[in-house]
Amino acid sequence: MIENRPWLNLFAHLALILGVAIVALPIWITFVAASHEAARMMQAPIPMLPGGHFWENLRATLFGEGLSGAETAPVWRMLLNSLVMALGIAAGKIAISIISAFAIVYFKFPFRMAFFWMIFITLMLPVEVRILPTYEVVSDLGLLNSYWGLTVPLIASATATFMFRQVFLTIPDEMLESARIDGAGPLRFFWDILLPLSRTNIAALFVILFIYGWNQYLWPLLITTDRDMSTVMISIKQMLEAAEQSPQWNIIMMTALLAMLPPVAVVIAMQKLFVKGLTETDK
Amino acid sequence: MAGIKLENLIKSYGDTRILHGIDADIADGEMIVVVGPSGCGKSTLLRMVAGLEAVTAGRILIGERVVNDLEPSQRDIAMVFQNYALYPHMTVRQNMAYGLKIRGMSRAEIARRVDEAADILELRPYLDRKPRQLSGGQRQRVAMGRAIVRHPQVFLFDEPLSNLDAKLRVQMRLEIRKLQRRLGVTSIYVTHDQVEAMTLGDRLMVLNKGVVEQFGSPIELYERPASVFVAGFIGSPAMNFLPVRVEGDAAILPNGARLPAPARAAGEATLGARPEHLTPDEAGPVAVEVEVLEQLGAATLVHGRLEGTQHEMTVQLDGVRAPEAGRIMRFAPGQLHLFDAASGKRLAD
Ligand SMILES: Nc1ncnc2c1ncn2[C@@H]1O[C@H](COP(=O)(O)OP(=O)(O)OP(=O)(O)O)[C@@H](O)[C@H]1O
Ligand SMILES: [Mg+2]
Repeated sequence: MIENRPWLNLFAHLALILGVAIVALPIWITFVAASHEAARMMQAPIPMLPGGHFWENLRATLFGEGLSGAETAPVWRMLLNSLVMALGIAAGKIAISIISAFAIVYFKFPFRMAFFWMIFITLMLPVEVRILPTYEVVSDLGLLNSYWGLTVPLIASATATFMFRQVFLTIPDEMLESARIDGAGPLRFFWDILLPLSRTNIAALFVILFIYGWNQYLWPLLITTDRDMSTVMISIKQMLEAAEQSPQWNIIMMTALLAMLPPVAVVIAMQKLFVKGLTETDK
Repeated sequence: MAGIKLENLIKSYGDTRILHGIDADIADGEMIVVVGPSGCGKSTLLRMVAGLEAVTAGRILIGERVVNDLEPSQRDIAMVFQNYALYPHMTVRQNMAYGLKIRGMSRAEIARRVDEAADILELRPYLDRKPRQLSGGQRQRVAMGRAIVRHPQVFLFDEPLSNLDAKLRVQMRLEIRKLQRRLGVTSIYVTHDQVEAMTLGDRLMVLNKGVVEQFGSPIELYERPASVFVAGFIGSPAMNFLPVRVEGDAAILPNGARLPAPARAAGEATLGARPEHLTPDEAGPVAVEVEVLEQLGAATLVHGRLEGTQHEMTVQLDGVRAPEAGRIMRFAPGQLHLFDAASGKRLAD
């Protein structure tokens, strides 16, 4: 559309502004609530403009004992736990799936298709479905309340393997043959050619998986009983429930705000590669 | 340097046999062109020499060495692919250096070889570009450069020019020929373009359905084609074929005209006459009813039918001529070829 009519432009902008407002309003209210005293949030009407207690609340949330009277760890600790879990899941999944896709696409071994279908079937088994047996295994291995327990069971999944398989299938056979003539063995081919060619796809997958890991709720809830191991997603929920008095909205909202930041940071940092990875087709 | 020897080379995929026992003795420094229609097994043959396809039976020797069970990288060959297969994430320089780096060559030696190849191929200004920033012809040259830097014993080309436009193709054809002469590397070149084959090859191997129809110099193939297939494949426009009956010294055309038989035979046979070997002659025995003319400038192609029959004929005349459609033109035959009617094999002169 290269039409240039003023009223059409106006209408388009109004629609966009409305859309942005709908998305942004809750975030704005979160921010406003995080910058007032606890008491102010309990008075009607709730404020629509930021107050002057932002830094104070930030310090209290990060380093104080979170919510006064509740049994939660300081929020920096939970952010760290979430970060380790999200990074662990993203990196682990990418590493495992790119290697298994490499094996499936480039090697002929007995029962290759059988393995392929086995991986395929795990697509139908997300964590929620296999949560009890998985818990059993993790607890038998003594991995409750550990980073290993948080990440490993979530690493095993097939989606990423599939994506890498598709990526590898678009790389022409001649590339492999050329590398063979150049004397590159399988590992060199993987390292020097496949990895660089999948760079943008890895970035895209990293963004998606990081957010997936960051937002995990059920599994961490189940296996972390030690408050030093719980993640920020859980703690927000706990803060809402734990308060015997009225909820301390300023602290809760500050925590929510902090919990939003890492995924946003990852998306912004990887934006360029991310978009390329989702759209680029020519190899 | 080394020659190549193929001994009864056979390739099957499951029960389907693709190559039926290829024999060839390629001298050191010679350039062989393998030519044939699509699907005849040209690429398969080349890829077997490269080590990219397993050999079902037979032997491949490079120099004195049987290479059947060697990895491609151990065969001392370099291959240029139709789609070039350059590494998209590496610069031109890195593309050329990659194989050398893997072999553990010193940086100085790699740099020397890459520079040398870049000079030969005039790639200097592009050394730090990625393949996608190059034109088709330049990519083609990079693919050549990647082959040259290895200083291999054998070059293998699989239709390296078919992705280029016609003009560039002619230019690159000459460059490849000059380069091969200059480096003196034994080469096998696969194409389905018979002009490319005629101009590039010291010798041509004409392949048909996995069988070698003829293996010889371009002139040999042109002057003494071993079969109807070769005769029809080599030369442009294609040779005219007419069914004849041979009686003594005469070959009798379907319309009753008598020509001198070019070989001893009796009974049914196939007579071949190249379009450029028929000369206009008022008293000539071959009468053609003109249907369509093609003016090429330097030559005129006359398409028509043998008078009184449905057999199509093409004649090539020098310069600009304008015989009218519907008119009968008469020709005297120059060189003629006679083939067995059943087997299509050439009959002895
Ligand atoms: N992996 C394979 N499995 C089964 N048949 C194959 C395989 N690869 C090639 N073929 C068959 O082998 C025959 C020869 O193939 P090849 O690629 O050598 O032909 P070509 O002469 O190079 O043709 P073109 O000029 O089209 O490149 C074809 O009939 C093809 O169908
Ligand atoms: Mg081919």
